[in-house]
Amino acid sequence: MEQFSIVGKDVPRNDAVAKARGSAIYTDDMKLPGMLFGQILRSPVAHARIIKIDTGKAEALPGVKSVITGKDIPKVKYGNWRLFADTQDEYALAVDKVRFIGDEVAAVAAIDRETVREALELIEVEYEELEGVYDIDASIKEGAPVIHDYCPGNISVNRKIEYGDIEKGFAESDYVREDTFKVQAVSHAYLEPCSALAQVDLDGRITLWTSTQVPYIVQCLLASTLEMRENDIRVVKPFVGGGFGGKMELRTWEFCAAFMAKQTGRPVKFTLSREEEFLTGRRRHPMTLHSKVGFKKDGSLMAKDLRIILDGGAYNAMGPTATFLCGNFGAMLYRYPNYRFHGRHAYTNKPPASAMRGFGAPQSLYASEIQMNLAAEALGIDPVDLRLKNAQVSGDEIPDVATISSCGFIESIEAVVKMSDWKRLRKELKPGQGIGIGCYSFITGGVFNWFNTQYPFSAAEVRAFSDGTVHLLTMASDIGQGCDTVMKQILAEELGLQMEDIRITSADTATTPQADLGAWGSRVTLMAGNAVIDAAKKIKEKLFGALSAFLNANVIYEMECKNGMVQPKNRSKKAVPFGDVVAMVQKAKRGEPLIAHGYYTPRDKGLVTPAFGFGAQIALVDVDRETGKVDVKQMWTAHDCGTVINPKGVEGQLAGSIQMGLGYALSEQFVMQDGKTLNTNFLDYKMPTAMDMPPSAVTHIDTYEPEGPMGAKECGEGLASPTAPAISDAVYHATGYRCKDLPITPEKILKSMENDT
Amino acid sequence: MKHPIELKINGDTYSLAVDPWRTLNEVLREDLNLTGTKLGCGSGDCGACTVLVNGRSVSSCLTLALEVQGKEIQTVEGLAPSGSELHPIQEAFVETGAIQCGFCTSGMEMSAAYILSQNSSPTEQEIREGLSGHLCRCTGYIQIVEAVSEAANKMKQS
Amino acid sequence: MTLPKFEYFAPESLEEAQQLLLNKAEGAHLLAGGTDLLVKMNHGLLKPASLIALKHIKGLEEITFDPKNGLKIGATALLANVAAHPDILEHYPAVAAAARETANVQIRNMGTVAGNLCNAAPSADNAPTLLAMNAEVLISGAKGERRLPLDQFFKGPGANALDSDEILSAILVPAPDSDSGVSYQHISARGKVDISAVCVGVMVRMEGDICRDVRIFLGAVAPVPMRAVKTEATVLNQQLTEEIIEKAGIAALDESQPITDVRSSADYRKKMVAVLTRRALTEARDRALNS
Repeated sequence: MEQFSIVGKDVPRNDAVAKARGSAIYTDDMKLPGMLFGQILRSPVAHARIIKIDTGKAEALPGVKSVITGKDIPKVKYGNWRLFADTQDEYALAVDKVRFIGDEVAAVAAIDRETVREALELIEVEYEELEGVYDIDASIKEGAPVIHDYCPGNISVNRKIEYGDIEKGFAESDYVREDTFKVQAVSHAYLEPCSALAQVDLDGRITLWTSTQVPYIVQCLLASTLEMRENDIRVVKPFVGGGFGGKMELRTWEFCAAFMAKQTGRPVKFTLSREEEFLTGRRRHPMTLHSKVGFKKDGSLMAKDLRIILDGGAYNAMGPTATFLCGNFGAMLYRYPNYRFHGRHAYTNKPPASAMRGFGAPQSLYASEIQMNLAAEALGIDPVDLRLKNAQVSGDEIPDVATISSCGFIESIEAVVKMSDWKRLRKELKPGQGIGIGCYSFITGGVFNWFNTQYPFSAAEVRAFSDGTVHLLTMASDIGQGCDTVMKQILAEELGLQMEDIRITSADTATTPQADLGAWGSRVTLMAGNAVIDAAKKIKEKLFGALSAFLNANVIYEMECKNGMVQPKNRSKKAVPFGDVVAMVQKAKRGEPLIAHGYYTPRDKGLVTPAFGFGAQIALVDVDRETGKVDVKQMWTAHDCGTVINPKGVEGQLAGSIQMGLGYALSEQFVMQDGKTLNTNFLDYKMPTAMDMPPSAVTHIDTYEPEGPMGAKECGEGLASPTAPAISDAVYHATGYRCKDLPITPEKILKSMENDT
Repeated sequence: MKHPIELKINGDTYSLAVDPWRTLNEVLREDLNLTGTKLGCGSGDCGACTVLVNGRSVSSCLTLALEVQGKEIQTVEGLAPSGSELHPIQEAFVETGAIQCGFCTSGMEMSAAYILSQNSSPTEQEIREGLSGHLCRCTGYIQIVEAVSEAANKMKQS
Repeated sequence: MTLPKFEYFAPESLEEAQQLLLNKAEGAHLLAGGTDLLVKMNHGLLKPASLIALKHIKGLEEITFDPKNGLKIGATALLANVAAHPDILEHYPAVAAAARETANVQIRNMGTVAGNLCNAAPSADNAPTLLAMNAEVLISGAKGERRLPLDQFFKGPGANALDSDEILSAILVPAPDSDSGVSYQHISARGKVDISAVCVGVMVRMEGDICRDVRIFLGAVAPVPMRAVKTEATVLNQQLTEEIIEKAGIAALDESQPITDVRSSADYRKKMVAVLTRRALTEARDRALNS
């Protein structure tokens, strides 16, 4: 393990003080002179043709400055998968049809919120209701109502993976089993509702401040939907109150804010209510997973045939990626000599599902992990031993995908087993108590260029100054995960500086270098971090050259940046302060400032990801067998994220992912009735509170990822996967109830126990 | 019809004319530009809008501005003793890593202030109960609970 | 999100409040803590033309107890104050428990027990224990003051017995008998901070090991908090053994009429009625025997 001075230390986040004081500005905190308030009129019906929209009364209401519908906007569809134009299936406002309850139909901008609200009530829409489909089975049936005309069978994405010889694999298996799993939609439930504020700048261009994970993507898609040039749109990310995948697309209110700002000449701000967020915000894909696995009797995996149907809701959103990844994850964690996957993404008349922490892994790995436990029981092998037997290791090649370049999976399993005293508890716990294991693997950013960007995936600009400070500019988006701090730490480490010496400007498409694809898929630390290192190397090259010339030694020294100085390696007597060496560089070039650019795009890393994170988690539960309530008494986690750059940051990611996993396992779900969401507030959408969180013990597995900045790789998204299977397995151990249909509710537990007696 | 009122916030008095239907949350954020208090749900479930009124933690999103005339209101902006120092609660939040996206932070800090005003040595369980009216999606609450504990220690020492 | 427009009044006496109610008639609504009212207004479920605030009426927030007359909880007494009041903790621990379990810290610092009752949700957390303890409500109206037993106060989901000119000014709970015990049990789908899927309040008065008086009230399993009369009959004048209590649980299950809604299914609610009634009877009995 390399010795670092800033990386690996508990450096406080660079924005923590501002947030603690309440002075961090989020989009809805912003006000501009003359600002109008906007709100969206949403469809009350799940599937209908729009016959007529009458906005006359709304437009006539004093204080209303703009009312728009689908007929007012350019007929340009959008969607993140720019590479495949036919997957782009959304208009900002419905043009001829509405496809889910909450679909955006019109927008109003007025001088205050009361007026906007009144105006919305005055818009008259005539719908011709069509038959709707609310689940996968109904949607893919022959003769089902067509949701998008371009897609008559309602299946918008088909993905197949196959390697090895699947039939042979099963034929040679001693034990084959098939299971079907269902997992539910959940909400990102970020605390900050979406908000967007647009203004027309003094030069006629547009600036949009928005609560987003992807300023660059928003910039490009806003440009195309407004029929403007990319460079005429500036997207700035203020502080963001969480995203988790729910803010990684262009959204209607961003478009409307910009369009209406242009139209009225005044700034326009939209902020969603929590009810809107629950009713119409994105969700994690519900999935039906059919998995067939084959083992030899000694527990060696022979084959897996995985068929998944994703319930995509009314639009594709990030569905194509989820469809791809859930198939990739089906072949992760364990060595499958023969593998086949078929994923289908189906439309239904419900709010669209999209990216959510884990991006297909929580669903796919739930099925994998529970099936491993089922097989373990049938084979008479301990679930831990079965995993150890088949675990992937560093150097393993996943056909057509990647070679695993660092892997702490086995070490993770061994660590949690030791921490939890697994073997003893698995035998000794009383009825009603249970212990279970769940594992995960995850990507560190994606390789596939679905956005079809012409730019590097990440970029950094570093400006060095003679006062010993630097300015780092990066489009990487800090949405609360702390990447601004991590980027500073990496740069500080590279240049031998302190955190206070570094100014960071981030996530502004007009001032930070093109480009950065955004905060998703756990890509930022690795990709933006590597871009920062690339830029730092170029700065150091110049500094070292200047210092060499200055020292004029007759041997060539290797140089280093350390403790605010530049010096020949380990020769601090010859050290010169950083700023002074910058001045030398500048002097040698007639005063030109020292600036360097760094870039990163994965190269020769297969089609999926440059690096994988791994881990294992064990849960201990106590089930009240009268009420079915599950009390999670303890979690043990071991995880491999390569080098830890910010320990408290990593701990925080783990704790947060346990909260999410706990909810996914036990209490979070959308209660739907014919396409209508019944639980649209925090009272009825049940997410864990401080009272529900179990004590948690963690071990970090020490590995080094060669592709990662200082050896780091993903942390915090992979961890979204193991909690539900671990709790599920523990509940099984406690009660005999094997959940194949999340969430694990008290009612399901009681019903299962009844059936047993 | 707007009612003329005086609001006492963080020791300062503000004279305003306010419509009856304006909540304290709206008045703070929009009329007084005290945007440290957030709005997360509008129904009293998430705690992001928590402020102290006469020392008690309340949801400002469900409080009419007219109802709190003459009462001592404290928001997050009133916690720190000055621009260069932090309140021990804020210090603790920064040091323990309890702040990720920061959106729940102001509300949590105000409730922490309330908890510690009632009980200078709360147990972990008491802290969790005291924060039961707050939702956080980033931190899993663990470092936040640690922060309140740490703040209690700091406040006892000073 | 904005509230719909309304006029606001802050009377300084009950009489003034009543006068306003009379004047403003249909469009008027009383405001105590506002924690239920404002939420309903935000969602467009209620659009009162005027709100009449009660919190500025001095003395209405008082909580008083004396061993003879019992407990009086004023209309604007906060849930937090009821939950922490020394006399309530000592003599009415289940009432304190129910208040403490209602909603969350901030809501309890704003909301009132009276408001919880007037909101008349079938799941009202504070109803079962007060009903079990034979509470009455004191109502002030144009025709003067009247007392109404609490079990006649709930008329249907969201509907109470107040006329449009009436204000619930206090909740009166008689001093508990020395050999009685009260228990409050509730459950919800999430962990510990939630609206109840089922809640139960039980009072038993014991003579030795025989139950001489019992009141069992079930919340969230009928249009109003309901008295489980048939269940009471199974334990009255019986020894409160584990077996009898078990049977009582099943009787309560049979007697209850829960629906399936967004919070829970009828089937689960029925099962929980049995479990919670059992637990409540057991705890009430043990408290009575130890008192």
